[in-house]
Amino acid sequence: MQLPEFEYLRPKTLAEGLAALAEHGPDATIMSGGSDLLINMKFRLDTPKYLVSFNAVQEMKAIEPQADGGLSLGAGCTLTQLAESEVLAEKYPALHQALFSVGSKHVRNAATLGGNICLDTRCWYTNQSENWRETRDGCFKTDNELCHVIKSADKCHAINSSDSAPVLIVLDASVTLASVNGTRDVPVSEFYNNDGVDHTVMRQGEILVGVTLPPPKGRSVYAKLAQRDGLDFASGTFAAGIVGSNEKPESVCLVMGSVGPEPKVLADSAAIIKASGLNEESIETAALAARASLGEVTNLFTPSGYKRRLVKALVKDALGELRDLQV
Amino acid sequence: MAKQIITLTVNGDEHEIAVAPYQTLLEVLRDDLALTGTKRGCTAGSCGVCTVNGEKGEAVLSCCALAVEWDGRSLTTVEGVQEGNDLHPVQQKFLEYGAVQCGFCTPGLIMSAKALLDVNTSPSEKDINEAMAGAICRCTGHIKVKIAIREAAKVLREREGGVADGQA
Amino acid sequence: MARPKEDLAVVGKNWARLDGTDKVSGRSIFADDVRLPGMLFGKVVRSPHPHARILNIDTSKAEALPGVKAVVTPEDAKGIYIGINQPLLPTGNVNHVGHEVVGIAATSERIAAKAAGLVEIEYELLPDLTDLRDAIKPDAVQLHEKAKGNIGWEVAQDFGDPDAAFAACDVIHEDEFITNATHNCYAEYHVCVSDFSKAGKLVVYTPTQSAILFQKTIAAAFKMDESDVRMLTLNTGGGFTGRTSARPHHFISALLSRKAGRPVRLRAAGDEEFIMCRAGGEVVYKLKSGATKDGVLKVLEVDLLFDTGAYIESQMIVTTLTSKYLGALYPIEASRYRGRLIHTNHMPYYFHHGGGLAQFQFALGQHMDELAHKLGMDSVQFSLLNGVEEGYTTPDGTTTYHSCGLKECIEKTADLAGWKDKYGKLPKYKGIGLGIGAMASGAKGLFKHDTSAAMIQVNTDGKASLFIGLPDMGQSSHTTMAIIAAEVLGISPEDIRVVSGDTDTDPFDVGAFTQRGTFNTGNATKNAALDARDQLSGRAASLLECEEADLVWRHHQVYSKQNPDNKIAFRKVVDETLNSMEGRFVMGRGYYNSPLKKGSMAFSFGAQIAEVTVDPGTGVVTVDKMTASHDVGRAINPRVVEGQIDGQIFSGMSQVLYEETIMEDGQVMNPSRLDYKMPRAYEMPEVDHIIVESIDPNGPFGAKEVGEGPIVCTMQAIANAVANAIGARVHEMPLAPWRVLRVANNAEQLAEQDAASKRKAVAGE
Repeated sequence: MQLPEFEYLRPKTLAEGLAALAEHGPDATIMSGGSDLLINMKFRLDTPKYLVSFNAVQEMKAIEPQADGGLSLGAGCTLTQLAESEVLAEKYPALHQALFSVGSKHVRNAATLGGNICLDTRCWYTNQSENWRETRDGCFKTDNELCHVIKSADKCHAINSSDSAPVLIVLDASVTLASVNGTRDVPVSEFYNNDGVDHTVMRQGEILVGVTLPPPKGRSVYAKLAQRDGLDFASGTFAAGIVGSNEKPESVCLVMGSVGPEPKVLADSAAIIKASGLNEESIETAALAARASLGEVTNLFTPSGYKRRLVKALVKDALGELRDLQV
Repeated sequence: MAKQIITLTVNGDEHEIAVAPYQTLLEVLRDDLALTGTKRGCTAGSCGVCTVNGEKGEAVLSCCALAVEWDGRSLTTVEGVQEGNDLHPVQQKFLEYGAVQCGFCTPGLIMSAKALLDVNTSPSEKDINEAMAGAICRCTGHIKVKIAIREAAKVLREREGGVADGQA
Repeated sequence: MARPKEDLAVVGKNWARLDGTDKVSGRSIFADDVRLPGMLFGKVVRSPHPHARILNIDTSKAEALPGVKAVVTPEDAKGIYIGINQPLLPTGNVNHVGHEVVGIAATSERIAAKAAGLVEIEYELLPDLTDLRDAIKPDAVQLHEKAKGNIGWEVAQDFGDPDAAFAACDVIHEDEFITNATHNCYAEYHVCVSDFSKAGKLVVYTPTQSAILFQKTIAAAFKMDESDVRMLTLNTGGGFTGRTSARPHHFISALLSRKAGRPVRLRAAGDEEFIMCRAGGEVVYKLKSGATKDGVLKVLEVDLLFDTGAYIESQMIVTTLTSKYLGALYPIEASRYRGRLIHTNHMPYYFHHGGGLAQFQFALGQHMDELAHKLGMDSVQFSLLNGVEEGYTTPDGTTTYHSCGLKECIEKTADLAGWKDKYGKLPKYKGIGLGIGAMASGAKGLFKHDTSAAMIQVNTDGKASLFIGLPDMGQSSHTTMAIIAAEVLGISPEDIRVVSGDTDTDPFDVGAFTQRGTFNTGNATKNAALDARDQLSGRAASLLECEEADLVWRHHQVYSKQNPDNKIAFRKVVDETLNSMEGRFVMGRGYYNSPLKKGSMAFSFGAQIAEVTVDPGTGVVTVDKMTASHDVGRAINPRVVEGQIDGQIFSGMSQVLYEETIMEDGQVMNPSRLDYKMPRAYEMPEVDHIIVESIDPNGPFGAKEVGEGPIVCTMQAIANAVANAIGARVHEMPLAPWRVLRVANNAEQLAEQDAASKRKAVAGE
């Protein structure tokens, strides 16, 4: 497979890059590691006129501890760079684990944090070659008003496979978006849309430049289910955070990933834990509630129904781990 | 879509090459530099046969890297692993322990293994799995590959002046 | 019957593969690495529909694109057929998604792809068949005029009187299994460089398991003499039963090259690989067996439905071959077999690693495990009671086992794996299972002969060049042949250059399939080396002043067995022969062809025990340990034998747990190395090997095969272990997590209901 033709721009500074994005508007696509984007381009899912590479922008590659005890991460940090960061591993082990679980070592050497957060949604009717797609009608993602996964749907149900998104929500992180018009901070919990086509709140000309992690609070865990270790996209991910004791939690946040176009915050399950504490009984109830709250779960390669069963297993195991976790 | 002249150092040799922005590193290595030891596989980042080592020795999927992004940088391909006329310990042990069968994935496996051993000569089982999970091998089933990597690590530890204590 | 193990100097030691240095350093050339002057790049325009009528093809825009040098349409391919019923490019209907319609050659891959997009083909859609169950319904669309009921091929064969045998049985067991479509997934994608630029001469560079078969079919297609088609195999990046015959891209690249007058390379791009590959289709297995109450298996009935796809390439072989294997493991008194190839609008199917037999053993091995349970035995007991032994002749009378280590394999595997301490005693969700197998070393019946030839030239320096036509797809067969020749000549394998891969110079060899390499080409090589040695014996005997018959050739030296202290160097004997007044040259030649009319001269045998853990929450199966024991006759190169066992355990494990070409509406849904799952480094278990050497009287130094013997054991062993772990059987392969979880959950519910009814019964008392 070969790449489509494009003009290549390589800004040296963020300002230069933002100017390029402003100038070329919808004709420009942002590239960082390229590990996902270049494949989508080979599939002709993205055929930009201008490819703007931010890999030379050094100011987006820093890991900086903050005065308040938090941590700021440049969007251009590679996942390997983050996986090797001691401060990240020590203060935010769940996020560290999530980033470490992305793709293979080969992929993480190129892939960036920004790329993982913005990772395009995936669907097995769409993430195929152009020739392959000719066999079927187009869909919301290409040139039609149709979802092959849920025929009656009025929007795209492609899956958000970002391994970092659920943990970032649990950690109460925010992302900084920049454009020539300035910057804005958006909590990760408000960053995603429940629509596979337009799956983030980013606007034309904006780029995600970094992530701010507030000082760590309480305990958190991350779990990923995938058929093979060290390679696959998840069949389900789950992040859970608890502040306070198991008996009397002050706050609980539970988020499921890879179950739809956006990470799914499990409010009902969290409420159960908050009300009854984190114990064997509440874990079972919360896991069942998680399964129920997911509604219709569609998936890439597993028959419907299997993922709902997985959800229960995933939530149960991870909450068990969270309960036993010492700070 | 003007071509751009880049300077790329491969296995210590500096090349000035005119490349189109859409050419991958793999295409430039194989088609422009005739370094066909790096194989073309899935071209979608999943099989690892195109692996080369970057400036810090890290594993790079050359099918998913733009050649223009490598302007002014250097890399190593499987043709550059040999030490003079002798095989590198990773190559030697792959050969000795039967970790080579059809040989098509072998360059990618060698470069993935070398990326690991360049920074870690006492790899755990998990370290080896982690380093190799991005690479496919249908023939050997990875079993003798893992043995060869452990054996190569022993040799490299000895070179470092340590003791080959059978750790890992 | 134990035969003495001959004391040998070279055979039985671990030798690194002779081409290994090239392979680990990027020097090995594969077909995709070939660059020829003026070479063009091909692209195929394929049907997006499973079944449609071609109304019009307009290639004018494509032809007008600068850089396009040749376009071939169905008009250019008239009269060229592949397989038994496939026109190379269809003039009427397209019959599967990806069906080749137009070929393009251009000065770059990019231009060829652009031109492909400019070809306009009008289709009229036709009703399609994408499930073999629909295809055999009476009202189904007929895909081929000659294939009534969409049955493209049928083999039916009875031995003995199966009805009478069933009537005499105390226990009868019936069940049904499914193996889904799979893909060979070689590391090297399909690729071919065809050079037809010299009139009347075609040169083809492509990976293959049999250059001779490719040469034959390509020559026939172009109405040429076989010698005018030169096949260059170079290195082959994996075979796995999938590269034994020429595929459309081989012919299309040749057509394009002929039209353009320049060489053309055609390579699978991304998902095309899954269409060009033509691996295994879905198979439905109905099995029925009968035994006496003391556990003796008497009769077996097998009915198989194969999805053969749009056309039949060579799948009729597997339908016939499977019938031969009914009586390969158990000396049954009667059997009934029916195998049918069903046409659908899937891509034409062929075989995956295991050649259909390993997949059949997935079904049969589990069926026998269930039958054993019904008989109150475990499968080790059952197999030891019912397994074949040396001297056994198969029901068709063609094949006698002159060596057979099956029971030794079963006993040794069971001992090492600790079967007695584990079976039935493991905790919940942990399981152990046995798989056993028999596999032919070469076979006659597919062709009239089963010939391999070899030549060996001995040089003045005492080194030699060995010419063989057997391809090495990774199994190290070239090194194996060098070891055999070196043993005969008393030199080292490293003294031998293996020359192979060019039909202009290769001696005849049917190829590398039916596990025939070691046995057939091995015997041919041994004969060639003996012939060369005979040509040196006169001089050696005169130098040593002894009888030729007393000469011993070993460690680069020659001596008389009467006087071992008086040695002369092998190179001296050669030098004195070549540089003599007579100026002789030493060129040994040899061949081997099985003396049988049909069947096989030897079978290898094996037993594997799998230990697994099933995750009750997710259904994921982890293979914890494999113990494998294989009777390979004699291990020529033990580390390579282990490597073959490892590779097949991997492939068997991969097929039984992971691999599935998921089909929807006739289209492959997971055509990539990411979505077509195979295990990788993390998933591989520890493997213990036991090599059993039964020393076959007809094999070279007693050797048989290890090419596919191991894989026939693996799938059933793991499936039996999973059944043991969850207390229920998954009848469909692969045993994907969702299938395992569904079966495990159902089994749990049944067990709960059972327990509840028992509690009620107890309460009622």
